[in-house]
Amino acid sequence: MSFRAVKAGFRQQAIQFITDPQWIIPSLILPFLFTMVMLFIYRDVTGPIVLQAVLGGGVLGMWANTLFASSFTIAYDRMNGTFEPMLCSPTRIFDILLGRSLWNAFIGLLNAILIFIVAELIFGTGLSLMNPIGFFFMLILTLFSLSSVGMLISTSFVFTRMGSFFSSIFEYPIYVLSGALVPITMLPTSLQYISYILPPAWGIDAMKYSAIEGYESMMGVSVYTDILVILILSALFLMASFLVMSKVERRILSDGSATRY
Amino acid sequence: MDDSDYAIVVENLTRTFSSHHNGNPKKVAVDGISFTVKKGEIYGILGPNGAGKTTTIKMLSTLLIPTSGKATILGLDVTDEKNVRTLRNRINVVSGGERGLYYRLSGRQNLEFFADLYNIPKKKQKKLIDDLLELVELTDAADIKTENYSRGMKQRIHIAHALINDPEILYLDEPTIGLDPEISKEIRSLIRKLSDGGKTIILTTHYMFEAEELCNHMIIMSGGKIVGKGNVTDIKNSISNSSSIRVVTEREPVFAIESIRTQMNADSKVTKLLNGRFVTKFTIPIEYNDLSMYENIFRQYNIKNIGVEEITLEDAYLALVGDGEE
Repeated sequence: MSFRAVKAGFRQQAIQFITDPQWIIPSLILPFLFTMVMLFIYRDVTGPIVLQAVLGGGVLGMWANTLFASSFTIAYDRMNGTFEPMLCSPTRIFDILLGRSLWNAFIGLLNAILIFIVAELIFGTGLSLMNPIGFFFMLILTLFSLSSVGMLISTSFVFTRMGSFFSSIFEYPIYVLSGALVPITMLPTSLQYISYILPPAWGIDAMKYSAIEGYESMMGVSVYTDILVILILSALFLMASFLVMSKVERRILSDGSATRY
Repeated sequence: MDDSDYAIVVENLTRTFSSHHNGNPKKVAVDGISFTVKKGEIYGILGPNGAGKTTTIKMLSTLLIPTSGKATILGLDVTDEKNVRTLRNRINVVSGGERGLYYRLSGRQNLEFFADLYNIPKKKQKKLIDDLLELVELTDAADIKTENYSRGMKQRIHIAHALINDPEILYLDEPTIGLDPEISKEIRSLIRKLSDGGKTIILTTHYMFEAEELCNHMIIMSGGKIVGKGNVTDIKNSISNSSSIRVVTEREPVFAIESIRTQMNADSKVTKLLNGRFVTKFTIPIEYNDLSMYENIFRQYNIKNIGVEEITLEDAYLALVGDGEE
C-alpha cells in the first residue's frame, strides 16, 4: 500500500469538498433532516428511545456521507475524465479510495456531531450519555466500520458506470439491518443473521451500550466483544474490498470499460 | 539493430470489443498490427476517426489488455500483469481535451495529486512541479483553479502532468485537436523540445502537416489495420504509381468529382473554397494523368487553373485510407 497515495486521496477529497458548495447539502442539510424525521417518528416517547432516534439520525448521516461521497468520487472521476490518468499511474485505485474514504469518514463524524447538536439545541431532546468518552470512541469505531462497508460497495463504481444502482440497493437496507432505524431485536430472525455480519450493527450496539444505562447488548455480549467483532468484520470487509478492487481493476482493463462514463 | 534500441515492438496486436448491436457480436478495433519504434524518435499513428489509433495507444499504455498478439514496451511484455505497475512508472499518456483535470483544484494542486500517485517524495515535488510549470509556461497561472483555464492552458497542464514521472515514452493522443493555430504551434514546439531531450514520443493525429513536421516514422491506420508505414518519403512513394491533379474552378464541380470517381477510379477528392473559387484535388493512377481529359470534364465549371502536383502526405494518406475515411 502507498501511504503517499492514501494521503493524496485524502487531500484531494478535502480540497474538492471545501471548494465545492454542493457538498453543503449532504453535510449540513441532510443531518438536520435526518434528525427531524427520526424525532417525528418517535415524537410521543421519552427516555432511551429518544437516544435511539438521535443515534439513528447520526448513523444515517454518517452512512449517507460515507457511501455517497466515497462511492460517487469514482463516478465523478469517470465523468470528469480523471479516472483514466489515475488508472494509468502505478498506484492502486484502492489506496486513493481509502484516502478519500478517510476524509469522508471525518466529515461523517462532523455530521454525526452536528446531529446531536441539532437534536439538543433545536429539538431539545435532553439527551444524557452514560459514558460520553466511551460513546465518542464507539462513534469513531462505527464510522470506521461504515467506511469498510462503503469501500466494498465503491468497488462497483470502479467496475461499472452503473455503480449508483448498486449503492442505491444497499443504502436503505443498511439503515435497517444495522439497527440505525429500529433495534435489531425487532427484525425478523432471518434478517438478524444478516445484521450480525455487518460491522456497523455491532458499532451501533456498542454505542448504545456506552450511552444507555442498563442496555442489554445484541446477543448479550460484552462491549469488548462488540469492539472485537467490529474490528474483525471491518478488517474482513477492507480485505475483501482490496481483493475485489484488484480483480475489478484487471477486469475493466480487459473489457475496455475503464473510460466509459 | 539490437532489440534494446527499440522502445516499442508490436507484433500482430489485435483488440476486439463485444458488441451485440446489429447482430454483430464482435467489433475488431485493431486488427493484427505490427510495427517497431526506435528509442528517442517521434512516431506517428495517423488515421481517420475509428481507425484504431486510440485503442492502440490504450493497449501500449497498459489501459487496455490486447485480445491477442504481443507488445513489448521498453523490453517488458505489456500483456504480463506483473509488468504493468513497473511500466506505468516509465510511461505516461496525454489524452488531452477539456476533461482529465480536477477543476476545483489549481494547476499546481492537480500536479501535486498526480506526483503523489507516482510516489514522488514531497522534497522533490516542489522543484519538479515548478520546473514543469515553467516548461509549459504556466508558472503565473499555477495557483488558479483549472476550471478557469483556457483550452490551450488545459492542454499544457495535461502535458505537464504527463511529464511528472519523467517518462521514457510519452503517448500523445491528438494533442492539438481543437486548439487554435498559435497554441498548436506552441504545443508542437514543446513536443520537439521533449524529443530533443531524449523522450520517445508516440503521437496520434489527424493533421498531416503536424505528422510531416514532427514524425520520424509513422503508420497510417484504417479500419484497424496498417495501410501505410515508414517515413514521410516512404509513405509518399507507396503511391508512386499515382498522380495528384489540382483544378481551380469558378463554380463547384459537383458532377466532375463524381465522374472522376466512377471513370478514373480516383482514390480521393478534396474540395476547398478559396477566395470564392473551388480547388479540387484528386489522386489518380498515373496512366490517367492526361490533363486534356480533365479539362473536358471541368470545362463547364470555368477552369481557372489546372496542373499536376507533387504528391503530398495528405494525398498519400487519402489514397491509402480510401473508403476507411469517415
